[in-house]
Amino acid sequence: MTRRVRTRLVAAVVATAALVASGCGGGSAGGGGAGGTIIRGTTDQPVSYDPAGAYDLPSYDVIYSVYQNLLTIPPGGNKPVPEAAQACDWTNSTTYKCTLKDGLKFSNGDPLTSEDVKFSFDRNVEIADPNGASSLLANLKSTDAPDPKTVIFHLAKPDATFPFLLTVASFAIVDHKVFPADKLQPSDKVIGSGHYTVASFKPGQQTVLEKNPTYTPTYDGDEAAKNDRVIIQYFNTSSALKLAVQQGPANGGVDIAYRSLSPTDLSSLKSASGVNVVEGNGTEIRYLVFNLKLMPGDNDAQKTAIRQAVAYTIDRDAIANNVYDGTVQPLYSMVPQGLQFATEAFKDRYGATPNVDAAKKVLADAGVKTPVPLEIWYTPSHYGPVSGDEYAEIKHELDSSGLFDVTLKSTEWEQYSTDAFTNKYPVFQLGWFPDYPDANDYTQPFYAPNKESFLNISYSNPEMTKLLADEVATTNDAKRAADFKRIQEIGAEDAPTIPYWQGKQVAAVRDGISGVEQTFDPSFIFRYWLISKSS
Amino acid sequence: MSRSGSLRAYLLTRVALAIPTVLILLTLVFVLMRVAPGNPIQAALGGHVSQQIIERKTHAAGYDRPILVQYADYLKDVFTGHLGQTITDKTPVTRIVVNNGSATAELAIAAFLVALAIGVPLGVLAGRFRDTPVDTGGRLFGIFVYAAPVFFTGFLAQLVFGVKLGWLPTSGRVGPVTEFTLDKPTHFYVIDSIITGNWSAFGDVLRHLILPAITLGLLVSGVLIRLVRVNMLQTMRGDYVEAARARGVPERRVVIHHAFRNALVPVVTVAGLQFATLLGGAILTEQTFNWPGIGAALVRYLNLRDYIAVQGIVTVFAIAVVVVSLLIDVINAFVDPRVRY
Repeated sequence: MTRRVRTRLVAAVVATAALVASGCGGGSAGGGGAGGTIIRGTTDQPVSYDPAGAYDLPSYDVIYSVYQNLLTIPPGGNKPVPEAAQACDWTNSTTYKCTLKDGLKFSNGDPLTSEDVKFSFDRNVEIADPNGASSLLANLKSTDAPDPKTVIFHLAKPDATFPFLLTVASFAIVDHKVFPADKLQPSDKVIGSGHYTVASFKPGQQTVLEKNPTYTPTYDGDEAAKNDRVIIQYFNTSSALKLAVQQGPANGGVDIAYRSLSPTDLSSLKSASGVNVVEGNGTEIRYLVFNLKLMPGDNDAQKTAIRQAVAYTIDRDAIANNVYDGTVQPLYSMVPQGLQFATEAFKDRYGATPNVDAAKKVLADAGVKTPVPLEIWYTPSHYGPVSGDEYAEIKHELDSSGLFDVTLKSTEWEQYSTDAFTNKYPVFQLGWFPDYPDANDYTQPFYAPNKESFLNISYSNPEMTKLLADEVATTNDAKRAADFKRIQEIGAEDAPTIPYWQGKQVAAVRDGISGVEQTFDPSFIFRYWLISKSS
Repeated sequence: MSRSGSLRAYLLTRVALAIPTVLILLTLVFVLMRVAPGNPIQAALGGHVSQQIIERKTHAAGYDRPILVQYADYLKDVFTGHLGQTITDKTPVTRIVVNNGSATAELAIAAFLVALAIGVPLGVLAGRFRDTPVDTGGRLFGIFVYAAPVFFTGFLAQLVFGVKLGWLPTSGRVGPVTEFTLDKPTHFYVIDSIITGNWSAFGDVLRHLILPAITLGLLVSGVLIRLVRVNMLQTMRGDYVEAARARGVPERRVVIHHAFRNALVPVVTVAGLQFATLLGGAILTEQTFNWPGIGAALVRYLNLRDYIAVQGIVTVFAIAVVVVSLLIDVINAFVDPRVRY
């Protein structure tokens, strides 16, 4: 090598090192110079940005930002208000009529008309994608679009929750000129009329949303996006996500880490420099399910007594504090706090703290021999990384009462999701996210008789069944409140399921990020358009 | 046989052997995916799908056809570059291979350069200064970096250089904004940023490459240190080295031109074999650094039980290893004439 060549080589290496060391790449490109770009990191992976193919939170996050629904849940609210609709109302108990606002347009300039609304619902049912939510439309007989601004829904039977269904991301309005009627539109080619457009989608890597410049606010409290672009960056593990928010966008990290940091990560981030942990209401719940066919007990009375004894014995505060570091709160009804009609029926019946004496008595009265052998199943990763700790805590609580002898068993979700609902597990763990923020969504799926409940646990109570039919058939709030009060009381008394915690929505955000708290409400809609970043 | 004739015969033999090797590997991949329990469509769609939908999707995917027909179609698809579409996110597998495979290749090449840059000089020094502290230190270092799990080294590097010192990013191939804005004609980001003249992106790409490349490169350097050292010890005892010394050739020249060059011949072979290690190690490195490579994609689709994606990716892995082995054989034939005979 000649001296000249060597000198040039050294100069090139020094220049490259300077470029790298200066951080001009990762720093400015990572976000410092990006102005209105918000970078969110998450471990959640979306399934589809076509509403007909989505029934999962990560997909919904984007769909709510890119499309409009006829109705929506406003920030902080828990009741539907018109979004694309000007107004909606019942014309009779099974007919729901909506008129559209004037001048609605998709981001490609196509007008949004009632034909698009009808098309969106019809194709959802026609495609019936396994990952979609077309099953929620089982009560929809047909949809009419008599003129460009009017949509009429005909239901098979009265359903007070139908307005809530219209707020669900799976039933967002798509452009009939763009979307095929019989198959899904690829996620990177979707068109909506919402706050953003999808600029890029790379599965497992990132989604980029860009502000829709033609969007105009449509309801009280709605506003145009406070940022120009949102980048959703996907992470394999919560530890990688935690490091990314610690580093911040200036070092190739993220502004916001939301879903799912472990409780340990969140605790450690509370003291991290430049990072704030923000919390808000959440309506995700965890509960224990009893299969009434398989659970121990010689007769129905003994089985009920065993379930009630478990309800007396479980220490919800210990689970919330010891396992989740306070990132969840104790739950005393299947209907979480924050939703209309929620009560605390389990607290009223069994108390706020464990009562082993009462548990002992209820078992003795039913002639149950103790310790009762309980085989409890959980799934170790689907519901977050601490399910193992959660069930170790529950086992400890039940075993230490002397009334139960718990055997824990676990398997991954792929197997679990089949076996749990096909009479394989006597007692098992489940979690629930709302389809829509109404008490019906937290009662009907669990307490309905076997053929109507996805749980398939052989639970049936005629009074409960009648109350469920009554509440869904009326739009009278006072009547529904009375029905739901009794439904929750019976739920606590029969205890086919035992709720034990309600999750808070928790995110770690960098200094200068605001608006995340505003979007944390029971609807679980992550409203990117409310988030801003100060320089 | 003339020198060129023996070389041609050797290369033809190697190519001929590669074909059945690829076929055996493809057959194994096909059989393993089919003997895995359960219907792949049902597995990918979860437990709540009606039998009617499963049958419709199974038919659409061709899983209800005779196994030999499926096998013939699979081979045809592989050789025509059609690896199908994933069940879960409807992405063409070839697009995953191009996007994620280039990320893995870029990481593997960078790691290999790191391995050479660390392993060869340390091996030479350890061999040259046998039984000195330099030798002992080099050997200990080699054992440590080879024995340390990739995720351990990676996590340690992330904590020190990413979190404590704040010097380098800890995840991704590039910053989120650059990922979106960088033009990617080749999908090799170092090359892309250079040919598009995007120097800001170039710096970003290099910053993101440093920690994963060093983490993975250290693993392979452990092997190279020991290998180069042993070869150096042998060549330093060679007659031609003694002869060079006797002729008064300076020691530095003896070591570099006579001993080191000859010591490198077996290193080429082993370095080629290490490529497979790099691919395996890349999966762990990609998980640790959130690197969007083909290993990370494989893990993601395995978790989703997307058999079509997994089959396509494993097929590409298998072919890549065979092709690289073939290339190493070819290079070896040029470097070391003895292997041709």
